[in-house]
Order: sequence, then C-alpha cells, then structure tokens
Amino acid sequence: MRQVAAIAVNTFKETIRDRVLAVIVVFALIMIVGGLWLGSISLGQQGRMMTDFGLVAVTFFGLIVAVFIAASLVHKEVEKRTVYILFSKPVSRAGFITGKFLGLCATTAVVLAGMGMFLFLLVWVVSGAPSGMILIAVVMIYAQLLAVMAVTIFFSTLGSAILSSVLGICVFIAGQLSHNVLSLSRIGHSILAEALAWVVYVIIPNFSAVDIKAGVVGESTLALGEIALWTAYLLAYVVVVLALATLVFRRKEF
Amino acid sequence: MSATALSLADVHKTVHVGFRRRPLEILKGVDLSVEEGEVFGLLGPNGAGKTTSVKVALGLMRPTSGAVTLAAGSLERVGYLPENPYFYDYLSGREFLGFCAQLFPMAPDERYRRVEGLLRDVGLSNAADTHLRKYSKGMLQRIGIAQALVNDPDLVLLDEPMTGLDPVGRVEVKRIIETLHDRGKTVLFNSHILSDVHELCRHIAIMRDGRVAWRGEVKEALAEAPSLEDFFMKVVTA
Repeated sequence: MRQVAAIAVNTFKETIRDRVLAVIVVFALIMIVGGLWLGSISLGQQGRMMTDFGLVAVTFFGLIVAVFIAASLVHKEVEKRTVYILFSKPVSRAGFITGKFLGLCATTAVVLAGMGMFLFLLVWVVSGAPSGMILIAVVMIYAQLLAVMAVTIFFSTLGSAILSSVLGICVFIAGQLSHNVLSLSRIGHSILAEALAWVVYVIIPNFSAVDIKAGVVGESTLALGEIALWTAYLLAYVVVVLALATLVFRRKEF
Repeated sequence: MSATALSLADVHKTVHVGFRRRPLEILKGVDLSVEEGEVFGLLGPNGAGKTTSVKVALGLMRPTSGAVTLAAGSLERVGYLPENPYFYDYLSGREFLGFCAQLFPMAPDERYRRVEGLLRDVGLSNAADTHLRKYSKGMLQRIGIAQALVNDPDLVLLDEPMTGLDPVGRVEVKRIIETLHDRGKTVLFNSHILSDVHELCRHIAIMRDGRVAWRGEVKEALAEAPSLEDFFMKVVTA
C-alpha cells in the first residue's frame, strides 16, 4: 500500500508538472469561453448552449488528457528504463500498475475539477442561476474516463503508446455508440451482426448510459439510481481491466 | 570461510529477437558466487553477458534455466545502479531519493535522515532541490548511487558506476565503494576500467560469450600476466 501511494504521488507529480497538460487546459478553457459566443447567436438559449458546448469541451479535453497520458505512463517507464530503478526494489507489478493508475486518476480529477468549476461559474455568471447538474455531469464524465484510462493502460502493456492512444479513443467512441449499435443490429435480423454488436456491448462499457449531458440541459430526465448502478459497474470494470493489465505486465522482462 | 551473498548456478538465458523471434542465447551457463563483505569485479567485453547476469540476479529478467540465490532473501536488502541510468526529470534530487526511500519499509524520520545523509555523502546537498533534468552526467551517476544505497543494502550491484565520470567523480565513487566495504557490505560491480577494479577488488570474474571464462583473486591474475589489462586480454582472446 505504501509503495502504491508512493508511485501514485510520483505519477501525479510527473503528469501535473508536464507543460503539455497546461497547454491542453488553457485550450479547454478558451473553448469553454467560446461557448459564450455560441450562446449569443442562439435565440433565448444562451445558458443551455453554453452548458451543452462546455460539457462537450470538458469531455473532449478530458479524454485527450486521460488517453494520451495513460498511453505513455507505463511505456515511458519501460522506454526510459526507470523500471530498472523500480523493479530492482521490492515493488510488485500489481503495485506499479495500480499506483500509475491512481496517480493518473488524481491528475485527471484536478483537470476535470478545474474545467468543471470554470464552466459552472461561467454559466452561473451568464444565466444568473447556478446549475449543480453541471458538476454531476462532470463527475459522470470522470467515471467514463476512469474506464478509458484503465483500458488504455491495459493496451500500453501490450503495444506502443500511439497504438494504445488510438485504441483508447476507439473504446470511448465505441462505448458511446454500443447501445445504439446493439439496438440497430436487432432491427437488421442478422444473427451475426447482432452477435457481434452484443460482444462489443459486453466488452466495452455502455458510456451513453452515464452520459447525462442531455439531462443537464433538460432534454431528458435523470434516473439517479440507475446512474449510481452504472458508476458501480464502471468501477468494477476498471478493477477487472487493471487486473488483466497486471497479468500481461507480469510476463514482461526488462 | 565467508557466506555467499549472491550465487548464479549454471544460469542460461535465451531471448527471442527480430520478426521471426530467432532465439539468441545470451547466458550459456553462468556460474558465479560472491562472498559476503567483499568487493567483487565482474569484467568482460561488451556483449559478454555482464549486465544480463546482474538483471537475472535482480529478477528483472527470468533465467531460462539455472538457479539464482540472494543471501539477502529479498530485494529489500539489495541496492542497484543500472548502466547509464535515467531518472525522473521532473523530480529534484531530494524528491527522487525520498520517492525511492518510500518504496522500502522505513519510518518517516529515518527516511528523512537517510535521504539527507546520502545527499551529503554523494556531495549533492547543494543541488538537492534542483530538478534532475539540470544535473550533469556525473551528478546523475552520484544520485544513482545514492538511490542504490537508500535502503542501507547488504548487497550492492553497480553496473558501470564509473562510466562518464571525470577523475574527481571516479575518486568519489571509489571512496563510496571503499566505505561500503569498510562497513561490511558486499559490492559487485561491472566495469571496463581495469585500474579501478585492480584498486578495489580482491576477487574478479571475467565473462566471455555468455560464460564466466575465468574467476579468482586479482593477485592470481597478476601472477600470470604483468598487468590486469594483459591478463584480461589473454582471457578474452583465448
């Protein structure tokens, strides 16, 4: 536990001190502010447009941060041979993977909290009323990103950082679409297509179930019990994927 | 007779390289034993298997066959400096040593004392809060040695500890190794600098083509050739 904490703190320092992260966050804030302009050209929907556009920006830049850092974390340690320092000490592979993941979770939490609070305050100032649902939506985006980060770390134990990033983004997109694809495949009457869609649906989490952006802007109602259930499912998914990543990483030699 | 701190018995290591996964035997039956409390020199030309032997001893690589025994039992009592080490650029020297110390069971006050003591011992107290990316090659080598000693190990494995160091740096590293020896620690180091080996070691092993081609005392080697360099050449070209 002590080692996991040490690796997590070290990973947090590594990622939070990265200048590229600061550049991404600045771009995200600019994009959120850009929602003001979109709101100004929408008739009477300024707050809604800003919220919608802002949450998309938070999701997009959160995904960029989560995937690209997750893909390079393990890979960089192997490439730069800092693993020699770590694994010549009594550090387990499971502890290493868990520590790296938790450190990245902390960094992503800081980034999302910053962007989410900025959006929350901006919408409050512009519309005159605070919307706590924005913060809940950001928490749900974070839950989705946890699963994407775990999957990306898993891929990074198998292949290159670039491939892992691409696959991580693909998983996020597939997770957004898997429920719709499953529904469509049932209409098509093709057993093969339906089986394939079902496999994707089972392997990749259904992110659309926890995507509550539509609920925040009033397009749908929010079933909080269901959201809590899906969050628990995502956390269980993270644990399983990290266990698989550890199994793969245990086989590696340096 | 002293106990054995580290032994490798008939260790083989085969890796698979290239697209066709062609097998390549790096270690072809390494037999090596290092006695507790001695400074042992592991010599050999590039590609002889020195670094691989050390990695196998540490568990960074798994032997294809053969046995590795660490008297220390676990890595908690072992220190290691890799060849051409790379550290975390974004950490200061003090943060890096603190991080390494946290990987061992150590109370916070003991951790603080060890980190500050090591920074002093390797002459980096003044640069303790400087980020490692601003360290010179010699400073990195010294912080590397410090991290290898952060757990006060009984067995210290140093892979080319003198590489890239200026004469002052070499003298400092030699002083550290001598101090470790005086404190009863076991030190195994790989080196191409035979004068350092001559100065520091009693026992040496010379590796060639994945095997230990010769092992014994430095004085035995010097009885067979005018210098350690001549003896080394004789063994590796035989």
